[in-house]
Amino acid sequence: MENTLKITINGKVYDSSPGKTVLDIARANNVYIPTLCYHPRTGKAGKCRACLVEIEGFRGLKESCALEAKDGMIIKTDTEQIKQVRKMIVELHLSNGEHNCIACEKNGHCELQDMAYHCGIERPGFPEYHETIPLDDSAEGIIRDHNKCIECGRCVTACNNNVMHEVLDFGWRSGHTKVICDNDLPMGESSCVQCGECVQVCPVGALTFKNAKGKGPYWELEKKKTICTYCGVGCSIDMYVKDNKWVYSMGTEENWEKQTNKGMLCVKGRFGMDFLDREDRLTTPLIKKNGKFVEASWDEALNLVSSKLGETKAKYGAGSIGFFTSARTSNEDNYAMMRFARGVIGTNNVDHCARL
Amino acid sequence: MNDKLINSIQQIMAKYPKKESALMPALTLVQKANDNNLTKELVAEVAEIIGVTPSRAYGVATYYSMFNVNKNVGKYHIQVDTNVPATLMGALKLYKYISDKLGIKHGETTSDGLFTLSKVECLASCGTCPVIQVNDVYYELMTPEKVDMLIDSLRKGVMPELPVEYNWESQCNVLLKRRGEKNATSISVYKKTGGYQVLAKALKMKPEDIISEVKNSQLRGRGGAGFPTGVKWSFLPKNTGKPVYLICNADEGEPGTFKDRQILAYDPHLLIEGMAISAHALGCKLAFIYIRGEFNWIAQILEKAIEEAKKDGQLKDLNIIVHLGAGSYICGEETALIESIEGKRGLPRMKPPFPAVSGLYNCPTIVNNVETLASIPYIVENGADAFKKWGSEGGYGFKLFGVSGAVNKPGVYECPMGITFKELIELAGGVKGKMIGVIVGGLSVPILTTEELKKGAGLKMDYESCIEYGTSLGSGGIMVITDEFSIPEIAARTIQFYNHESCGQCTPCRQGSGMMVSLLNKIVSGKGEKGDIDKVLWFCDNIKGNTLCPTGEAYSSPIKAMINKFRPEFEKLITN
Repeated sequence: MENTLKITINGKVYDSSPGKTVLDIARANNVYIPTLCYHPRTGKAGKCRACLVEIEGFRGLKESCALEAKDGMIIKTDTEQIKQVRKMIVELHLSNGEHNCIACEKNGHCELQDMAYHCGIERPGFPEYHETIPLDDSAEGIIRDHNKCIECGRCVTACNNNVMHEVLDFGWRSGHTKVICDNDLPMGESSCVQCGECVQVCPVGALTFKNAKGKGPYWELEKKKTICTYCGVGCSIDMYVKDNKWVYSMGTEENWEKQTNKGMLCVKGRFGMDFLDREDRLTTPLIKKNGKFVEASWDEALNLVSSKLGETKAKYGAGSIGFFTSARTSNEDNYAMMRFARGVIGTNNVDHCARL
Repeated sequence: MNDKLINSIQQIMAKYPKKESALMPALTLVQKANDNNLTKELVAEVAEIIGVTPSRAYGVATYYSMFNVNKNVGKYHIQVDTNVPATLMGALKLYKYISDKLGIKHGETTSDGLFTLSKVECLASCGTCPVIQVNDVYYELMTPEKVDMLIDSLRKGVMPELPVEYNWESQCNVLLKRRGEKNATSISVYKKTGGYQVLAKALKMKPEDIISEVKNSQLRGRGGAGFPTGVKWSFLPKNTGKPVYLICNADEGEPGTFKDRQILAYDPHLLIEGMAISAHALGCKLAFIYIRGEFNWIAQILEKAIEEAKKDGQLKDLNIIVHLGAGSYICGEETALIESIEGKRGLPRMKPPFPAVSGLYNCPTIVNNVETLASIPYIVENGADAFKKWGSEGGYGFKLFGVSGAVNKPGVYECPMGITFKELIELAGGVKGKMIGVIVGGLSVPILTTEELKKGAGLKMDYESCIEYGTSLGSGGIMVITDEFSIPEIAARTIQFYNHESCGQCTPCRQGSGMMVSLLNKIVSGKGEKGDIDKVLWFCDNIKGNTLCPTGEAYSSPIKAMINKFRPEFEKLITN
């Protein structure tokens, strides 16, 4: 879209197209505005108050994540008042939770840590005594640490609006507000299907992957973009790997709107990638000889299948043969298999695992 | 859950445009049927009947303070209002008396399972404190003797009737016109005294003419914010193809405020007539009265009055649903109130959009206070000019003022807008003791000192004069404080209230109010350190205006004023 509006941020003029928020424009131009509750895939929430900015002519500070930029707007992101409010927000989180970064899985890519760094806060100024809430590690793939939760609500929105599993919500109120699974069950006993979307949007270390624990800090991991092999949807995955070994999967956030999976993953794409490094993984065709599987070449294997199919058809007829294809292959491959079944073998016995 | 209960829930569901709205009424019903208690399992069952997720239902059940989830509340839940106005009238002493008598503390239940004792927030009974709510019933103007009678009677299984004499007076004879009449809640008495004639007149008027009359009257919202009612009405978009909803805000929860219940409980038809006229003006076919859960008995009066009005043919084109809250101050904020009617946690929404554009069920919605809507018949009957014969540019018309705290005749007084503070206090029997300060608009407004009141021509009770004096008219709930009380203690109790009621959505309010509680408690208990007072002020300055809804401002302004105006009292407590 054409750049038809100009806005001024901290004295510098930026061109932009209409329909963008002040936050969008600031981020596109590398102007630092922290956010804790806003996430592109869960939208504005107004809860964290971290992204407040000053707009000339407006009373009080405004949420930059929700405010549509208008031509001629004059914005400040670095006033003393804004600095104090940001400082207060970080202080409140650090004082009320247990945000010890040292061994946290989120160390190095935690949005609260980032904000604290920018505010120059190393120690909480208002330490409060809190009883530590026990970890919820009842679920197969996800660890929940309430002591690190900042109640931003991203996980709740993602669970209800993005993946629509409707497991998470907020319980209680005021300082007792807590994210709950169903009617406050441990995650492992709840109706959660472990898609991991909540972990992906969590800005802090409140939700982490069990399988990633201790495998390596964020900065030692390499991000590799790939397509999930489980089904034909073709979800984009950002695989985090270390020493060429899979650590965890995230739905691709970059250009998420253009991805078929819109940044989301299912339990298979999220957690089912450990097969990549399994020693008993199938890497070549096997042919059973004298009751034992023996490694074979593709030509050998295909020749055997072809001859057996021919024999069976000649002996028992085409109706005795059936084909079952996989969701892990593409539409085109499935079509080819259907043509082979009907056109070459001459049977309608063809089905697909996606019908299950 | 038995079939009868399930059937009742299904009937409630059918009442609403969206079945989810039945969640809170259903939980209330089930709790009552289960001896004052809810369990995880019961909440899950209700969720299934209504068709919401278990997490949403549990989130709602744990949000509202009147739902007792896994609490094992006794047969009689004795709830003592200990908020600021109650404290000013001796509630803490009475609480201690009950606690000693029953041998239980806050949240505990007697071993026979008969009594549970709780300290609760303002019950909107400030003029008749100390007040105790036992299950659904209010016992006002309580004394140790009356407590003895109450407990004895409850032990015998009888909810006693303990009569109360209320103070009230009307100088304008509009909102309290029928306050002294017998059976004023019945439609026959209402009609005998001119009731429903204005509705008949209004139904013949063009809606836009009614709106312009209300606009011309310059009636300002009586809930607290003082926004011009006619202007609010004119924000409704035209021809959206969506229904328009009118909601009467009867959540009366601002500590110091007990005025709306005078209309709700003693002249319900005045409100209903006001709502019917307003609904006609706004093109609304379904209206709601959102009433605080503690006012259950008043809700029944309203239900009965609506039924009577329907039978009498007054509500031909309008249906009114009485929706009971369940214990949440924030639900007095209009978007939180809307969420609550939708069967959700009472969380204020981000604005824009404003309710007039997208409110209840995402449809255009107008939310007005009880007193505002009850003022409409007078304006439509007599015209804007007649309304403006009272008051001045600083605020027109008549207004209910609730006076509580250290006065001789605490009560509700209907006076012209702009009555002087001095006159109003005289009406309330004068100050009992030496006044050191007063809060004139409900707990959310800055305190004024006795010296400040002496400045200039004297404070007038209207919007502009209050602003001039550095405070706000708010809801017109006046609390008189004498030297018998400690301002730091009042400040600590004030912030405890707001912290208890914080919805928990935004960080500054959820955690900041808690931090202010810790700091003020520390100061009041004599453990304060140098710098603590300034820390509180730092939070006040950074919370004010920076929260998701106006609540942050509602406590940071008054706390800041208490500290700044009575700083030596706070300093005295810092010994470290």
